[in-house]
Amino acid sequence: MTSLETVESFVEGAPPGELADVINDIKSLTINEPEIVSQLGPAFEKYNEEQFVTVKLPGSSQKVIISSHSSLGDGRYYDVESSSSFAFDHATQKASGVQSYVLEGAQVDLVKSTLKSLSTYVKEHFPSASYGVYPIENDSKVAAIIVANKYSPNNFWNGRWRSLYIFDPSSSNLEGSIKVDVHYYEDGNVRLLTNKPITGSASSGTGAGVVKEIAAAEKKYQEELNRGFTSLSEGAFKGLRRQLPVTRQKIEWDKVASYRVGQDISGGSARR
Amino acid sequence: MFPLQHISRSNSPASPNAPDNLRDCISYWWNLTADSNNAEQRIPVESDPKLRNMASADPFDSALDLLRRLDPKHTTSHLNSLIQLAPDLTEDLLSSVDQPLAVRRCPRSGREYLLCDYNRDGDSYRSPWSNEFDPPLEGGAAAAAAGSLPSDKVRAMEVRANEAFDMYRELYYEGGVSSVYFWNLDDGFAGVVLLKKEAKPGNANEGTWDSIHVFEAIDRARFTQYNLTSTVILSLSTNSHGLGDMDLSGNMTRQIEIELPAESDEQQIANIGKLVEDMELKMRNLLQEVYFGKAKDVVGDLRSVGSLSEGVREREAHREIIGSMQR
Repeated sequence: MTSLETVESFVEGAPPGELADVINDIKSLTINEPEIVSQLGPAFEKYNEEQFVTVKLPGSSQKVIISSHSSLGDGRYYDVESSSSFAFDHATQKASGVQSYVLEGAQVDLVKSTLKSLSTYVKEHFPSASYGVYPIENDSKVAAIIVANKYSPNNFWNGRWRSLYIFDPSSSNLEGSIKVDVHYYEDGNVRLLTNKPITGSASSGTGAGVVKEIAAAEKKYQEELNRGFTSLSEGAFKGLRRQLPVTRQKIEWDKVASYRVGQDISGGSARR
Repeated sequence: MFPLQHISRSNSPASPNAPDNLRDCISYWWNLTADSNNAEQRIPVESDPKLRNMASADPFDSALDLLRRLDPKHTTSHLNSLIQLAPDLTEDLLSSVDQPLAVRRCPRSGREYLLCDYNRDGDSYRSPWSNEFDPPLEGGAAAAAAGSLPSDKVRAMEVRANEAFDMYRELYYEGGVSSVYFWNLDDGFAGVVLLKKEAKPGNANEGTWDSIHVFEAIDRARFTQYNLTSTVILSLSTNSHGLGDMDLSGNMTRQIEIELPAESDEQQIANIGKLVEDMELKMRNLLQEVYFGKAKDVVGDLRSVGSLSEGVREREAHREIIGSMQR
C-alpha cells in the first residue's frame, strides 16, 4: 500500500464527527511529505458522499445532504426542498455559490410527495436529522436519504444513523440499507458498526406508501438492534468471562499463593 | 530489554486519609484516579482533549490518537499501516499499543501460552510453562537473552503466578488461555498477566476477550508499591436475517497505583492476584456499561422507537397533572 492509500484508508475510517481530528493526525504523521495531504481531495469527496455529510447553506438554518445521488458534478450538489444548488468544498465541508435549482422530469411529483411524507416521519422519530429525496438513474428511480448525527466530543462519544433507500416505480421494489456507527473513546476506543440491508415493496407507488414502508422497516430494525444488544450481553459477553466464579465468592488469594493440588481456593468455604 | 512503557511512574504521595484495607484501598485509588468527575484528578491519558489539542503535535501522540479513533476491530492492521507510514515509530508503537494476543503451544509441555512483546526475543517466544524459547535461540542470541531472563527468585515467583492465574482463569473464564511473565527491576520486579478467551466458534454470537495487565512491584521501606495498567480488548459480533451485521468491538484501559505490605513471595502473588481480580471485575462492569448501556443509549438518542410528538404530549400532560396538584 502506498502512503497515500494508507492515509486514504484512515480518512475512510474516520468516526462520525471526527474527520477533522483524523486529518490533524494525518498531517502530523506526514509532516515531511505535505504533498500527501494535498492529494486527499478524492478521499474527502468519497467520505462526504458515503457518510451523507450535511452542510448549512449560506443564509439558511436547514442542513442539506451531500451524496452521490444529489451530485450535479463539478463539485456542485442540489437540494430539492430548498430548490437550490451549491458548490461544496470537500476539504473544508463548506457550501458556497448557492443558486436556484428547479427540479424537472418524470419523477418530480413522486419526489415531492415522498419528501413531504419523509419530513413528517423524520420529525416524529429523529430529534435531529437531515433528509433528502432525489430522482436517479435517468429519472427511472428515486433515492431517499436520512442521516442523523449526534456529537458529544466533551463526553467522548459520537454517533450516526444513516439510511438510504432506492425506490423503483416500475417494479414497486424498495431496496436500501441502514447503517449505525457509534464511537465511544474515553480511556479507550469502542465502536458499534451495523449494516442492515432492506428489501421491500411499496405497491401503491405513492410517496406516502414509500415512506410508510421505510418507517416500518426502520422501526423493526431498531427493535432488532435493541434485541441484538441484549443477545450479545446475555450470550457472548457472559460466556467469555464470569462476573464471579460459580461459588459467587472472590478468590482466596492467600490460599492460592501457597496452593497445593486439590485444594479449594474459590472461596465459599466453611469460613464464610 | 523490557521497557515499562505501559506505566508512567508518576509520584502520587499516599494521602493520610487513604484506607489500609486492600479492597477499600483499591476503591479509594480507583475513585481518586479513574472515576472522578474532577478532570484535574484524572490520570492524564491521551484522551484528555486538553492534552490532545496542544499546538505541537508529536507524531507518536498523533499515531496513538489515530488508533483511538479508527475501528478498534482492526487495530493490528492500522498499526501495521502506521508503521509503514512512519517507520521511526515502529518500536514505540509496538511496545505501547495493545493488540489481541496470539496463542502458541509449548513444544515441551504441550500447553498453550500467550504471546506478547514481554516474552518475545526476535522471532522467538518464551513459554511460561517450560521457560524455553520457541524456536530455540541460537548461540549469541541465547547468551544475550540469558541476561534478560528473570532471576531464579523471580522465575520461581513467575512459576507460582502462572499456577495461580491458571486457576483464576478456570474459575472466571471456564476455558481460554493464561500466561504470566515476570522480569527483574533494579528496585523490585515487574510482570504482565495475560488472559484470553474466545467464544465457541460456530455460534451466531462471536466474541473474544483479551486481558493485558502490566504491573510494577517496587520495593519500598515497609511496603511494596504496585502500579497496574490494565487493558481489556473485547470484540463481539452477531448477525441474523432480521438484524443484518452488528459489530461491537473495542478496548478500554485503566490504571491504579497502590501500596501494600508484602513480606513474602506468596504475599506478592496474593497481592497481584487481588489487584488483577478487582481490576477485572471493575473493567467487566465498565465494559458492560459502555457496550450495552452507552452504545445503546446513543442509538436511542439518534432515533426514537416511539413517536417524539407523543412523547412531548405525554410530558406536557404529566406537567399539567403535577401543576394541577400543586394548585
